[in-house]
Amino acid sequence: MDDLQFRRSIYADPHSDNEELAHAKATDPTKKKFAQEIEQLDEKILNALKVPVPEDLSERLILRQTFKSHQQEKKKKRFHLAIAASVAFALGLTVNMMHFSNAYDNVGDYAFAHVAHEAEYFSNNGEANVTLASLNKKMASFNGTFGDKLGELMFADFCRFDGMKSLHLVYKGENSPVNVFIIPKNDHLAFNSDFANSDLQGKTQRFKDANIIVVGDKNEPLQKWQQNIKENVSWSI
Amino acid sequence: MATKQVRYEALVKGLHADLYRYAYWLCHEKQIAEDLVQETFLRAWRALDSLKDEKAAKSWLITILRRENARRFERKRFEMSEYEEATITDTQSLSSEQDIENHWLREKINSLPEEYREPLVLQVIGGFSGEEIANLLSLNKNTVMTRLFRARNQLKDALEEEPEARGTYNG
Repeated sequence: MDDLQFRRSIYADPHSDNEELAHAKATDPTKKKFAQEIEQLDEKILNALKVPVPEDLSERLILRQTFKSHQQEKKKKRFHLAIAASVAFALGLTVNMMHFSNAYDNVGDYAFAHVAHEAEYFSNNGEANVTLASLNKKMASFNGTFGDKLGELMFADFCRFDGMKSLHLVYKGENSPVNVFIIPKNDHLAFNSDFANSDLQGKTQRFKDANIIVVGDKNEPLQKWQQNIKENVSWSI
Repeated sequence: MATKQVRYEALVKGLHADLYRYAYWLCHEKQIAEDLVQETFLRAWRALDSLKDEKAAKSWLITILRRENARRFERKRFEMSEYEEATITDTQSLSSEQDIENHWLREKINSLPEEYREPLVLQVIGGFSGEEIANLLSLNKNTVMTRLFRARNQLKDALEEEPEARGTYNG
């Protein structure tokens, strides 16, 4: 190893453990002396480079981080709580909606569903033993009075008509029972005056305090029923 | 979480001094050096899980700090252009012979070109090999070794040339 290369190498890295350098130092006293000089220089450089570090720097770094992560932790907890609350709230809303939402959007659909649901309980041959007095007692809650029974009344009772308290009357019809619903005025079911499906037909009339729906089979003269109702029911003021 | 905290504290305790000194020699100002170290450890905390090998921790932190420093230049390019090395003063009190020599040598180191100073700091303070420095600075190893050679060579020349000047510090 020539002198120039030796010097360059020592300058570049005085603490190199390169074997050639070690050998050169061991065999050449001049090189050894030079290497020692540079090592001393490096010692000085090291001392100079070691500028004083602020005493509490590490404590501050740790403190700051601990504080920060603690706050993050708190935020996370709050976040989780908020999420849990939101989920619970949404769940509650959904359940509520499913229980109490109105699955039908017009009186016709609901009336058919109601009739179909109870069809098995009524037949045209059933006993017609509801008196006018008991009918009118119930009708009183709609501020109405029947002057006559209209026909053979088999059943008269309060029903839930899509969540609304209503009066459900079942009459004997020509071939099958005729259902009459007296329902309060409402917003959530669309009013349709005439409606029909493959088996049944229905009509709705508006009155002062209630709407009256008549549902019967296709052969039933609903027009006549409506006329009778109109003439027989009187509404108190 | 506890283990992350423990790892973090170990990193801080083990490496904050080297990191601070490296930062100081990059930016020449105590306050900025401290800010750089703070920012570096903040980022280190966030990315701590990505540090798999503790042996690589020092070069990992140095890399973060260099990036932070570069960002500082992007932010303050205008201010930095007015920067003059001659105005740097070390305000620490000079009590002993050693301090005086250090002070004098620090000025010499400060007046080295940045590209010579940085490898020197990484080698002497950081204990990195020529190869590692080359990696950190994205240079090839020969360039690094040449710069190290020139850095020491200049410091040695300076030391030999200015015995008079040194004397004035002595009194």
